[in-house]
Amino acid sequence: MPLIIKTEHVSKYYNRHKPDEVRALDDVSLTIAQGEALVLNGASGSGKTTLLSLIGCMARPTSGSVSIQDKEVSKLPERFLTDIRRQTFGFIFQQLNLIRNISVMENIQLPLYPSAIPMREMNRRAIEILTRLNILNKARMKVSALSGGEQQRVAIARALINQPQIIIADEPTAHLDSSLAAELLEILSELNRGGKTVVIATHDPYVSRHRLIDRIIRMRDGRIIGGSEP
Amino acid sequence: MTRLLKILEYGLSSLARRKFKNFSIIAIYSFTIAALASILLLTHSLKEIAVNVLADGPDIVVQRLTGGRHDLIPANYTQGIEQLAGVGRVTPRIWGYYYDSLYQTNYTMLGVQQDMPQLEMVEGRMVVADGECTVGQGVATAQNAEIGNELLLINSAGIGSTCEITGMFKARSNLWTNDLILFTKDDLQRFFATPAGLATDITVEVFNPKEIPVVAQKIRQLFPDTRPVTINEILHTYESVFNWRSGMMLTIFASSLIAFSILAWDKATGISGEEKQEIGILKAIGWDTGDILALKFSEGSVISVTAFLLGIFFAYIHVFLLGAPLLVPVLKGWSVLFPPLHLVPYVNMYQIFTLGFLTIVPYMASTVIPSWKSAITDPESIMRG
Repeated sequence: MPLIIKTEHVSKYYNRHKPDEVRALDDVSLTIAQGEALVLNGASGSGKTTLLSLIGCMARPTSGSVSIQDKEVSKLPERFLTDIRRQTFGFIFQQLNLIRNISVMENIQLPLYPSAIPMREMNRRAIEILTRLNILNKARMKVSALSGGEQQRVAIARALINQPQIIIADEPTAHLDSSLAAELLEILSELNRGGKTVVIATHDPYVSRHRLIDRIIRMRDGRIIGGSEP
Repeated sequence: MTRLLKILEYGLSSLARRKFKNFSIIAIYSFTIAALASILLLTHSLKEIAVNVLADGPDIVVQRLTGGRHDLIPANYTQGIEQLAGVGRVTPRIWGYYYDSLYQTNYTMLGVQQDMPQLEMVEGRMVVADGECTVGQGVATAQNAEIGNELLLINSAGIGSTCEITGMFKARSNLWTNDLILFTKDDLQRFFATPAGLATDITVEVFNPKEIPVVAQKIRQLFPDTRPVTINEILHTYESVFNWRSGMMLTIFASSLIAFSILAWDKATGISGEEKQEIGILKAIGWDTGDILALKFSEGSVISVTAFLLGIFFAYIHVFLLGAPLLVPVLKGWSVLFPPLHLVPYVNMYQIFTLGFLTIVPYMASTVIPSWKSAITDPESIMRG
């Protein structure tokens, strides 16, 4: 399978050259193949979220390079990074990060507002995804009125609306009970079977052991300390 | 275009989500604009009315000064003035003020003269004989009088006299005719007990307007005890008086504008955690800084332009339909004693645009800049919750 993500000797420092300098990532090199489902595993502070941020073009490395689909992105200006973020990635955040007082439909369509895609197409895509995730009947409801599991599905739907090739999920099961976690992983499995690359940062062993996962990368203190199959 | 329209649509939906907060801002903003615009509209209208009124007035008014104070002028000065080159009709005037303590209003009384401008009448006719008078609409309203009624007037010696109302002036030159009562010259001379051969002042017509200052200078040389006042000087005085008064008012209301700006700045700089988080989310899911600015710009534009237009609308209603009841006592000064004045709508677009620039731009800046500061931060922060 062709590579879709490649990091080479990536380091990330916060508050560089200050007394409170933090080395979040230290010389991390990693390749991820297209269609792969991968878990970044490690305790809090191990650098999982920082690595996800760099892969997802939300931040730039202090040194080293990040390539997405063979394109070096770490030194691109902000507007190009935004385009890549919008066109290539779907994000599922630990805190969901939904806008609570707007409707499910609006939340899902948010990534497409600053695009040239017409409103009719946005509606079509949203209805298709809501149907697929079985929450079409909640489309006009405000997010704040939904249950935790329904909100999780809305977050997934929002991550899928721009038809991304890579889905990035940061601790997606952190606030879910076991049945909702299983449901989420089933949805991600289905997406992975459809050809999406899935990168999950988690320290939840249930996720790491799931049949969805092709590979586990173990991290500690900002370094990769090993990799294995589940 | 589609992209911008969609961002605008989302902006409107965001405004609707924060209804109470945004309605409050629009209400305060509109009030501030309405207050400032009312002053500008009223001042401009008064100045325009003055210019229109004076357009029909004499080119030079010659007054006599005694001990530095205005005194009655010998009517035979007209003969000397008439001899000056370029001078047309020269007319001695009898006029004065009359305070009606019963209705607590002040009237201007004028003796009919040959060089009077053509005054349109609502109904009736101009005064032609002793014992008659023609009045402005304000006088008729204050006295609750109609044509054919007798008007009772008491002079400074306490002697009462009456006149029959023969007509009522139309409102075009309201500032001048509103409080005017016109008599025959002889009637008014008797009422004011003005000695024969003296007049209140003398009006002078000059054929070439460019020669008005030269003729005024010559009159001053010919009669050193006089003060010729040209039409331009009168206009300038009106303008100065209204500018000074409106300046005072604007200074007072500018403080409310400043207070509003501080409120807007506080509101904008203190964007809530919720708004900051929303900006972070939008950035994380693919909005760039320009998109966020377009969103905030559209929100700010909707609020500021709506408030501005509402403010101008309310100011127009306040000034031209309601007669500026909140400002007239200050801007017209002592004229609280005047009968009611109907303002003619004159709008100076330059003033309106200036007001728009001075209010919309600061609000937009105080809304967009803090959002921009929030939008340029890395979206990574949103990953960390």
